[in-house]
Amino acid sequence: MSQDLSAFGRFAISKKAGEIVFCEFEPGENFYLIQSGKIKIVKILGDLEKTLDVLQPGEFFGEMSLLEEAPRTATAIALTDVKLLVFNQTNFEILIQGNPQIVLNILKIFSKRIYDQKRRFMILKLEDIQARVADVFLMLSETQPQPPGTQDEETTQRVFNTTPEDIAHWAGISVQKTTEVLNHFTTQRRVEVHQGKIVVKNIADFSRFVNSRRNKSSQ
Amino acid sequence: MSPKANRFKSNSFIYFLGDGADKIYILKSGKILLKSNDIETNEELKELINTGEFFGVKSALGKSPRDETAVVLQDSDVISFTVPEFEQMVLANTRVIMKMLKVFSNQLRRIHSKVQSLMTKTESTDQEQGLFSVGDYYFNTRQYKQAAYALSRYLTYYPSGRLATQANLRLEEAERLLASGGSGGGTSLGPHSHAGSSSVSQGPIPPGKEYYTAVSLINQDKYSEAYQILQKIVSGNSGGENQAKAEFELGHCLVMMNKFDEAIRYFTAFLQKYPKHPDLKDALYYIGKSYEGKKDLTYAKNFFEKILAMADEDEPVAVKTRKALKALGSSQ
Repeated sequence: MSQDLSAFGRFAISKKAGEIVFCEFEPGENFYLIQSGKIKIVKILGDLEKTLDVLQPGEFFGEMSLLEEAPRTATAIALTDVKLLVFNQTNFEILIQGNPQIVLNILKIFSKRIYDQKRRFMILKLEDIQARVADVFLMLSETQPQPPGTQDEETTQRVFNTTPEDIAHWAGISVQKTTEVLNHFTTQRRVEVHQGKIVVKNIADFSRFVNSRRNKSSQ
Repeated sequence: MSPKANRFKSNSFIYFLGDGADKIYILKSGKILLKSNDIETNEELKELINTGEFFGVKSALGKSPRDETAVVLQDSDVISFTVPEFEQMVLANTRVIMKMLKVFSNQLRRIHSKVQSLMTKTESTDQEQGLFSVGDYYFNTRQYKQAAYALSRYLTYYPSGRLATQANLRLEEAERLLASGGSGGGTSLGPHSHAGSSSVSQGPIPPGKEYYTAVSLINQDKYSEAYQILQKIVSGNSGGENQAKAEFELGHCLVMMNKFDEAIRYFTAFLQKYPKHPDLKDALYYIGKSYEGKKDLTYAKNFFEKILAMADEDEPVAVKTRKALKALGSSQ
């Protein structure tokens, strides 16, 4: 970002590589703008640390604290030595005055978040857990355009770089239950589970399946 | 390119629900209706656009599919903007953008609380237990700096919580290990096999203090000193539960000391010995780096590509591998 943020020096903090900025489950009050260095966003799933995202200078994190002081939903760790600007509801007004680019960036994050949350809501509303898992694939297919060559229009096969843990997270069910559903789909030859990647043989078939369950539950 | 004026006939559609979105519109004259379905009741929702109002903003900015259908009720004139055109316009008009932020943040707040209420029905997240478990995880994986952070936050928020005693004990232990040169970076310390997150009462007794000394030296880029300590651990088989990690770090040191041939031989043997080592992909990465150091770029590339085929896209090892691969591409 090109705007002048030198006036906000008093809100700046530094963290060394490996230091935690905030931890999942702790109450959130501040949000952060990366000035230099990189931040990784992780979640502990069982006995694994799963990296959700690696953020670069100019990117925000923790911005949900603007809305409410809800617990953090992930842990933010400095991947390299970092410099951050710390914001909260009190100094936010000062920050955005004269910095419309920052407001625009937050607007973009919120746009994406509203869609994600709506979609998540629709998944969680399904009572049938098979339909939930199938709907997670539909969501991924909607938001991750397939690179050319990996999708076949005729068979509507889709390849997702995802894991049963990811699917479980989105579907709001345990990894074990998710694995059971995926195994069931595998024996039906509807999906193939590989290391770090899941193939859905016919995404249109999943779409029909989810729609039939969704219409049933809404009546 | 500049914003375009378009005329739409009555009964036509500007976009459909589920369409990909790249344009933002403003209604100049006419009558346009947005139709969508309520996510809770599936009931049809209708919203008339006022003259001068934007529509299609959220999906275009969020790069998500349209979540409504835009129907033209009377012949209408609209202006369409690409996202960059839209940005240029609103950056010059702070009031518009602040108004949108308020509307969006209200929408987000509403949908967020709806999701939260469904989530508590499906999985009960206990904040107190959760915060402790994060500390517990980092403690068990020997990432003491991170463990100390999470545990001290636990004690700040729950000073007399039900896990406060354990948190206190672990925090002290983590701080003691940090002071004696334990790792806080956790760059190469993968999840540890004995780590039982439920075994709260049992205090860990880490053998082989030398291993931590070596890791600390590595963190300070003192590779040859670390190498000497690690070699003693490896040849004397004295690393205890850190034996496999010590062996991994020894190879790491070889690479950093530019002993590429030795590093390749070493890691090849290492992978035969530990085909399921948690740092397997990192070992492959170092082999790739060694070939790169030897200017054997084809081999280096093969190893890097192998890692990317195995790793999750966002794993740290995948991130550094992609970077290494990109650097190779530009040097060829």
